[in-house]
Amino acid sequence: MEKRPVFPFAAIVGQKEMKLALILNIINPTLSGVLIRGEKGTAKSTAVRALAEILPNIERIKDCPFQLTTTETGKICKDCIILDCPARSGDRMLETTLAGIRVIELPVGATEDRVVGTMDLEHALKKGEKRIEPGLLAAAHRGILYVDEVNLLDDHVVDVLLDSAAMGVNTIEREGVSFSHPAKFTLVGTMNPEEGELRPQLLDRFGLCVNIHGANDPKDRVAVMERRAAFDENPKVFCSQWEEASGELSSKIEQAMILYPKVMIERPLLFEIASFCLDVGVDGHRGDIIILKTAKTLAAYKGRNQVEPADIELAAELALPHRIRRKPLQEVADDVHALREQNRNAGVV
Amino acid sequence: MIFPFSAIIGQEDLKLCLILNSIHPGIGGVLVRGEKGTAKSTIVRGLADVLPKTRVITLPLNTTEDRVAGGMDFNRAVKEGKKILLPGLLAEADQGILYVDEINLLDDHIVDIILDAAASGENRVEREGLSFCHYARFLLVGTMNPEEGDLRPQLLDRFGFCVEVVSEKDPETRMDLMERRELYDNDPVAFKIVYEPETRKLAQKIAKAKKLLPKVKMKAHLRPFIAELCSSNHVAGHRADLVIEQAARAHAALSGQSEVVIDDISAVAKFALLHRKQEADSPPPVPPPEDDQKDDAEDQNEKETPDNEDEQQDDQISDAENNPPDPGMQNQDMQNQEQGDSEENEPEEPDNSKNDGQENLPEPEKDVTEQIFEIGATFKVKKITTPKDRKMRRGSGRRSRTRVSQKQGRYVNSSMQRTNNDIAFDATLRAAAPYQLERNQPDGLFISLRPDDIREKIREKRIGNFLVFLVDASGSMGASGRMSASKGAVLSLLLDAYQKRDRVAMISFRKSDAFVNLPPTSSIELAAQYLAEMPVGGRTPLSAGLDKAYQMVTNVLLRDPGIRPIVIIITDGKSNVAMGPKKPVDEAMAFARRMGQDDRIKYIVVDTEADGLVRFGLAKKIAAMAQAQYCKIDDLQTDSLVSLVKDTQ
Repeated sequence: MEKRPVFPFAAIVGQKEMKLALILNIINPTLSGVLIRGEKGTAKSTAVRALAEILPNIERIKDCPFQLTTTETGKICKDCIILDCPARSGDRMLETTLAGIRVIELPVGATEDRVVGTMDLEHALKKGEKRIEPGLLAAAHRGILYVDEVNLLDDHVVDVLLDSAAMGVNTIEREGVSFSHPAKFTLVGTMNPEEGELRPQLLDRFGLCVNIHGANDPKDRVAVMERRAAFDENPKVFCSQWEEASGELSSKIEQAMILYPKVMIERPLLFEIASFCLDVGVDGHRGDIIILKTAKTLAAYKGRNQVEPADIELAAELALPHRIRRKPLQEVADDVHALREQNRNAGVV
Repeated sequence: MIFPFSAIIGQEDLKLCLILNSIHPGIGGVLVRGEKGTAKSTIVRGLADVLPKTRVITLPLNTTEDRVAGGMDFNRAVKEGKKILLPGLLAEADQGILYVDEINLLDDHIVDIILDAAASGENRVEREGLSFCHYARFLLVGTMNPEEGDLRPQLLDRFGFCVEVVSEKDPETRMDLMERRELYDNDPVAFKIVYEPETRKLAQKIAKAKKLLPKVKMKAHLRPFIAELCSSNHVAGHRADLVIEQAARAHAALSGQSEVVIDDISAVAKFALLHRKQEADSPPPVPPPEDDQKDDAEDQNEKETPDNEDEQQDDQISDAENNPPDPGMQNQDMQNQEQGDSEENEPEEPDNSKNDGQENLPEPEKDVTEQIFEIGATFKVKKITTPKDRKMRRGSGRRSRTRVSQKQGRYVNSSMQRTNNDIAFDATLRAAAPYQLERNQPDGLFISLRPDDIREKIREKRIGNFLVFLVDASGSMGASGRMSASKGAVLSLLLDAYQKRDRVAMISFRKSDAFVNLPPTSSIELAAQYLAEMPVGGRTPLSAGLDKAYQMVTNVLLRDPGIRPIVIIITDGKSNVAMGPKKPVDEAMAFARRMGQDDRIKYIVVDTEADGLVRFGLAKKIAAMAQAQYCKIDDLQTDSLVSLVKDTQ
């Protein structure tokens, strides 16, 4: 099948916050994902699907159904379905391939056994042996797991997602099979809040959250229409026009990935993060940690090796809206700075 | 690579609970409750490093019964034609730690199996023609976030300890925490080495305490102290007493003492009491109020202390019913701990529920002007669930458990009964496996299946209800705080619906027509927003409202025949606009009768007519016509609306 061209990421008009949040997650997968909240037709899905084009390459064992690196082999390999894989016998000399990070889509109607994996029925019937059949979580290891309309996902599928997202491991104990494999993925979800909110526990698993709206500037709206029309008319030509911009973005991301481990932060800035979280009122410590990581990633993306106060301001905008403790019926916060100001003035901490 | 136990900042209570339990497994496990992101899981996983030769077995949420308790070994059954047990997770966890993250989300019957094994120290398997019993002595550790719903009280009691975790409030501590986390993320191996000596020290301390434990005695005179502690906290049953005694011994052993002192008891008592204590206002036979509504309770507490409120409540009840509350009654009422008293919280609205006369005072003309009333105070609603039944339904939610007919929901068990071709392949293969040596295999296939081998999946999922609020927004509702009280009642039910993941819809009627304020949605946020903004004024087209509600429900039923709709009609019944040629009141009655004939839909009528000399009692008549449950808005001061919702199911 010939690969269908996707709308280039760089060609998406506006939606700066969403694009930034996605890019930051590529640079630093430990940010653990983005939740994109917004009305219909705001290029949410387009942006996520377009990501694949700018994602960097990672090394993985050839044909490995669990997307493992050479250092991750172990118990799981003994039960693996690839019978001629040398890792089965503990061999360390493994053939690897270099390919782009994958975007795995989890459809809203997915059943639990397809998500976590199950017993391979065909094999059982033909060979009289139990064998595992890896699910979507195995495919998403070290990649991006994309859930469109995440708020419509069945409750019990959400439960298993939470389970793996929390541990970075997918453990399967069902239908007579028992195995576990690493499942560290960047969770990207989109939702339209009008159709119901997410459960707080799942909300917290998304590192960042952006609220998006349609472009209001008529000029932007025209640009959206023009680019879309150009793409529909001749996708190949359109994509090649944007190739350079995409390439620039890719290399910027790669440089940031190299720089990230060297980014430093001074202790007074940590105080700023802690007091920000205390001022707006968030549950737990994940907010603090995510702001810190986001701020460092931002610095790296901007080519600095030192976190600046502005990085923290922006990081808080991305990391806090969905974490702010709210009464069950309150809406997810939109402006964290205003809320902080308000709480400070009211003396609520 | 796991974050080292000794590197965790804070959470001393949780650490102590885990250490005591590993010294003395007889304490009976730990339930960790707390907000998200408080290192619950990290601490539990870190414990394995501290305890040598202890395995942590993680029980995932997707598990099925055969893997928990054990089932037939398929491979061996096929090859040897014998039924041999393949031990499950309970067997693996023997002598180790069984860790269940988000235990409140686990299927109830799997939780039952685990707790049975934990209590008895053994696991009995009676399934698939296997009969087997093995040791299952494990330390059970469960974590949960109360926001996601609570465990059943019976299950709560099975945990020896319960500990509440909260985040650190001191900025300096939070900074340390971030720094440590960064250090760990940058180089986990080096980080672990730094904390190695501390980990080893702790391990030695635990080992020493374990040795000392059999020698630790508790003097008899301390027992009455424990008993007193438990009874003053209104603990039901004796498990708390026993747990405290054993835990105090472990605590003494940890501090190297061979005799229990008062301090040991004080240090551990709270962990045994937290989940068992019942407030004085909650009687033993009824389950304690759900803690997942703690937030609401706290909000209420900001305004008034619970005790005060309870007193006020009593006053309300006695006033309203002219009847001194008898003790049983009192318990009933107090069970729903927090009830806002709308009138009391809203000084701007005249308080009428007690002063009957005022109702007839002339009110400013409101029929033309529109008003928006504030939402009255909310109250906690009692658990609304429908008993699990055998009707097949579909949907998603958390209110009621049901066996589902579609191939959705969690696969929990298998059965020989054939209904819908939802084949449980694993169980089918296991059923056929022992006979494979005898049967002739058909071409190419290794396994020969016969119809009587086939097992189907039994799936379970929780379905939510569909609540339609039909709110009278006519001018008469604006009088004497009726609307605020109604909004308070609706919001209370919405809060409950939020946790149960019900779908809701809201229809209001005023002036000459009914309006769908909110089409069926799961977004309770939207419902609350519309509720706050709902204007009041104009005449009362009750029949239009009834008609609209019925249309909406039947439409939803067409698409989703299994859903359980409940229509909550909040009105005084004084209909004065008709759709057809009939008199408005007669028309409304006729509509109500027709609606009552549809037994798929349940109705509740909340009468907002104030008590007074002149009462029309129209709402009551409507209720009778629609075969609805009926209650007066004043009764909402108690939780009767909610029990009504429960009864109607």
